[in-house]
Amino acid sequence: MTRALGWLAALGLVAGLAAGFGYAPRETVQGNVQRIMYLHVPAVLTAYLAFGLVLAGSIGYLATRRPGWDRLAGAAGEIGVLFTGLTIVSGSIWGKPTWGTWWTWDARLTSTAVLFLVYVGYLLLRSLIEDPEARGRYAAVVGIVGAVNVPIVHFSVKWWRALHQPSTILGPERSPIDPAIGLALFVNWVAFTLLFAYFLSRRMEIARLEEQT
Amino acid sequence: MPSNWDYVFAAYGIAAVTLLAYWRHLARRARALAARRPPKPRAA
Repeated sequence: MTRALGWLAALGLVAGLAAGFGYAPRETVQGNVQRIMYLHVPAVLTAYLAFGLVLAGSIGYLATRRPGWDRLAGAAGEIGVLFTGLTIVSGSIWGKPTWGTWWTWDARLTSTAVLFLVYVGYLLLRSLIEDPEARGRYAAVVGIVGAVNVPIVHFSVKWWRALHQPSTILGPERSPIDPAIGLALFVNWVAFTLLFAYFLSRRMEIARLEEQT
Repeated sequence: MPSNWDYVFAAYGIAAVTLLAYWRHLARRARALAARRPPKPRAA
């Protein structure tokens, strides 16, 4: 199952690159630098998914005390941090030629940085507590409180005046993007979701082996 | 607007290196844990 997911993710990533660099047209205003979007947007959507699973795993653990829920939360948190890091770095690289700066204390960027730091703290907390029951309990509380940041990041561009553009695909209005660009984005989002599922499956298996040894 | 391909390649290059490094980290950790597990007892 995990191996099949890995191959599907690899195929998806190849298809995503072909869609982003071959099929999608050159954007009229930004030029080719807009192609960073096919990495940046799927990365942040994957991070949202990961932190949603941290929330689900944390609630599940507090309700049942079954270690499987804690493994899910811990694995999803680690991968969520990875994809949030990629979101910040790719956004910063995209920002330099389009905004003229690598970083600005805009509401979206700042809230994303806070999200990243909260989940780095979540992972640090997990690594510092040896007793599995106490680790699961404390981490679950942080996992639930930390999830409050996800809607703050997403709606920050609506709630505050921001340099970052508003949501174009998860907004309430019909998306204004070109269908070819939208399709390339969709293919890359599917590929990133498959890659996330593959990483999650492997990381949870490792956590299970760690508990046995 | 210039093409700015260097920025595009930098973003994708960093992402590729990061994801590959994480994949290798998981593979190494799984191998190390599998090697540490005691062998299954043989059936008589």
